[in-house]
Amino acid sequence: MRVTHQIEISPTSVVLDGQTIVVEAVGDAMLVELYRRYVCDYPKFFKMDTLSRLGFVAAEILLKETKVDAVILANRSASIKNDNDYLATISEGRYYPSPALFVYTLPNIVTGEIAIRRHVQGETSFYVLDKPDDLDPIIRATMSNDLQSSNLQTVLAGWVECSEPNRFNAKLQIIWNN
Amino acid sequence: MEQLIEQLKSQIIEALNFEDMTPADIDADAPLFGEGLGLDSIDALELIMLLDREYGIKLSDPKSGKAIFQSVRTMAEYIQSNRTK
Amino acid sequence: MVYCVGHNIISPLGRGSKENYESVKAGRSGLKRYVNRFADVEPFCASLFDTPQSFVSLCIESIEMALEECHGTIINTQDAQAVFILSTTKGDNLELLKPAQQIAHYFGNPNSPIVVSNACTSGVCAQIIAKRLLETGIYQHAIVIGCDLQTRFIVSGFQSFKALSPDPCKPFSPDRQGLNLGEAVATIIYTREPGEDNQKPAFWTLQAGSIHNDANHLSAPSRTGEGAYRCLMDVMEGFCPADIDLVGVHGTATLYNDDMEEIALERAGLQNVPKSVLKPFLGHTMGAAGVLETIICAMAAKDSNNTSQMLQVIKMLSGFGGVNAAIRIQCE
Repeated sequence: MRVTHQIEISPTSVVLDGQTIVVEAVGDAMLVELYRRYVCDYPKFFKMDTLSRLGFVAAEILLKETKVDAVILANRSASIKNDNDYLATISEGRYYPSPALFVYTLPNIVTGEIAIRRHVQGETSFYVLDKPDDLDPIIRATMSNDLQSSNLQTVLAGWVECSEPNRFNAKLQIIWNN
Repeated sequence: MEQLIEQLKSQIIEALNFEDMTPADIDADAPLFGEGLGLDSIDALELIMLLDREYGIKLSDPKSGKAIFQSVRTMAEYIQSNRTK
Repeated sequence: MVYCVGHNIISPLGRGSKENYESVKAGRSGLKRYVNRFADVEPFCASLFDTPQSFVSLCIESIEMALEECHGTIINTQDAQAVFILSTTKGDNLELLKPAQQIAHYFGNPNSPIVVSNACTSGVCAQIIAKRLLETGIYQHAIVIGCDLQTRFIVSGFQSFKALSPDPCKPFSPDRQGLNLGEAVATIIYTREPGEDNQKPAFWTLQAGSIHNDANHLSAPSRTGEGAYRCLMDVMEGFCPADIDLVGVHGTATLYNDDMEEIALERAGLQNVPKSVLKPFLGHTMGAAGVLETIICAMAAKDSNNTSQMLQVIKMLSGFGGVNAAIRIQCE
């Protein structure tokens, strides 16, 4: 297994393959800035929750020239930020549950957003783990050559976490099997 | 009626997260689904919720939405004659 | 290939896999109509426990019962060779990692637990990652638990999607109106090598698993059943449709899911293979569904097998995010 590209995003910085990308905005607004600079032609972006926006822009920047067979992501707090946003729509006395928010109350939706955009019809998986290192054995086991009938060559893998507004971090990698 | 249409456009933009769009960008007679605004099935459900929340209209059968959600104008006409608030 | 050496189900239909299987076999359903269970939500039909349950206690009880059934194979949960894998969508009041850690801690397990959160396919995906981790030698034993309890959060969300049927669901029926939710916990214990003094042979072996995305829509399944079809083809590798003895379908009874599954099954040549659909008995138990339905399908296959031949059983699921998953198990 070898890592060919890597991106790290925090509310104040973006680092692609070791090089800092200069951004003006911070927090949630920075994700919009990245979208406008690197994507631009996918208005569905604005419907996404922060976790999906984060994973989506990170994937878009990384996958410019690479096709991947699978998307395997993880984090610690699942979809809790969006769960809380949905909860606000069903508060007592003002009960109007929002289907557009409910659909994002699953953390694997971000893998679906990336799969739709990049036409990934291979595996998409999402794990909730204590720390980013815990994903390593899962990726190793998933990419093991002996197991896969559909032979995974390239995987987009990593950590996408968003627990509160303007608080997030992502570290995504493109991993090759040889 | 025209006032309701303008108000409805703003509510749609907000409910469906159309960043950067202003009411002037939406043609009241253009189709909402497919061409035009390009809404999908989740948006349709969100519009059903908007009718309930803002106008007290309950649509129980999502299929009946098809005729109502043809355009902003057809939506406004339906609201005009069915609103309870 | 990995071996199932113990399993358990606790649901409104009973405590223990056997009680649940016998109930389903006798045609009993856990579905009831609820009018005032949660504030504000419209009346709905679901399979719920009579009294509120603690997520963690329920999981612990199920695991303990499954461990007791492990005849001959000693599963030491305190061993670093064992890992806990929890399949759930909404966990313990929206907490997913914490209950998994509490469960692993209760059993003295030193490893960080894995929570699989792949929407409604989680229970099958959890078995697939268990298989991979065992086969690559990273662990020796995996305790796979599926659990979800119904809340105002979940019921209101599915109602906003107009996905719930007010009456008992009718999978694959032309007049189906949607799904019913359900509560349950189920546990499967997988191991790489069952003990030598194993009195009973392994309950079944997990032979193949596959996960595919439709890459089509977040909440609506593919019209061509693409992801589900690819999963079926993967797990059937080396077999022809006639070799498959039973397919446990998802069968949620929503309009689109059942249509999609029919298309995928037909494309895979499995239209004439016997199917099992369990939602009318237990509802859609979300994170528990893949674990629970695998157990019942395996028991049904064994129960009806009057030959000495091995039976091939496929369990398939699909979920939000466009994800599909399937496994093939082999049982006597």
